[in-house]
Amino acid sequence: MPRFHFHIEENGRLIKDEDGQEFLDGEKVRKEAIATGASIARDAFMAGCACRVVVDVRENNARFLKVSITLDVQEDGED
Amino acid sequence: MSSDDIPAALVRRLRTTSAVTDEDIKAIEALPISVREYPAEHNIVSDGQKATECCLITRGFCARSKTTSEGRRQILSLHIPGEIPDLMSLHLHVMDHDLTTLTACTVGLINHETLRLLHRRQPNLADMFWRDTLIDAAMFREWIVNVGQRPAPARLAHVIVELRERLKVIGRIEGNSFEMPLTQEQVGEALGITAVHANRVIKQLRQDGIVAFHRGRVEVLDEDKLLELAGFDDRYLHLSPAL
Repeated sequence: MPRFHFHIEENGRLIKDEDGQEFLDGEKVRKEAIATGASIARDAFMAGCACRVVVDVRENNARFLKVSITLDVQEDGED
Repeated sequence: MSSDDIPAALVRRLRTTSAVTDEDIKAIEALPISVREYPAEHNIVSDGQKATECCLITRGFCARSKTTSEGRRQILSLHIPGEIPDLMSLHLHVMDHDLTTLTACTVGLINHETLRLLHRRQPNLADMFWRDTLIDAAMFREWIVNVGQRPAPARLAHVIVELRERLKVIGRIEGNSFEMPLTQEQVGEALGITAVHANRVIKQLRQDGIVAFHRGRVEVLDEDKLLELAGFDDRYLHLSPAL
């Protein structure tokens, strides 16, 4: 079964996934990456400790896919 | 394990958390209990199954869980020796969730009819088991708050502290460390996050010097930080019969 590593960046700070995980198919990897990015972003955005979260998924060191989530809040009175 | 040891953890727990009498304890120790061994990750009773006996865990860890139609599993509670996680099957005969082993387990099976007779003979024990199921519900309320409202690191901290407080009652703490034999995937299923996010949170708690996971055990590195992160108040566990 192919092994995927999910490296996470919060505001450019990289947290490497040394262990990786096995997945049967690419669609499951895609869903895992999006759900992971979204839930990490939720915590980070609410805590105010980051405004950009990236999940960089690699298979044998080659980029498999990358999910980027950015917080963009426009308050009244600002352009 | 000799058959005399089967109710030991249950008796120890009840002596701490309930107002049991020596007569109650004698009745529990005299219960006919058949012992069964299960491997890890095995359903003891499954969602939809009709239950005819209750399971007293005497060794190992179990979890209750439900799985959505899309196949996503939510762990609802963790269970340790001395607990009867499917006690409600005495009155709710068809299981509405799975009871699964996390590790290899020894389980004492108590026939429903035997329990019903015991309750009629000793109403004090019936009250005590009723109290047990109410505490079970209180723990579910806390679990819902945890999964619904706390950020992921606080969720994990809360589950860790709760498990420790319960293990303390049955004397299963060694220094600053105790068993928490969950895989990253299972931590994710308990917290309602992906396995990858669970991995991230476990690493963060280690980096922040709060707790370290190692081979199915948790070591507390900083008690104050852990309690602050968890926002833990043990009132819902109702550990003392006096309260």
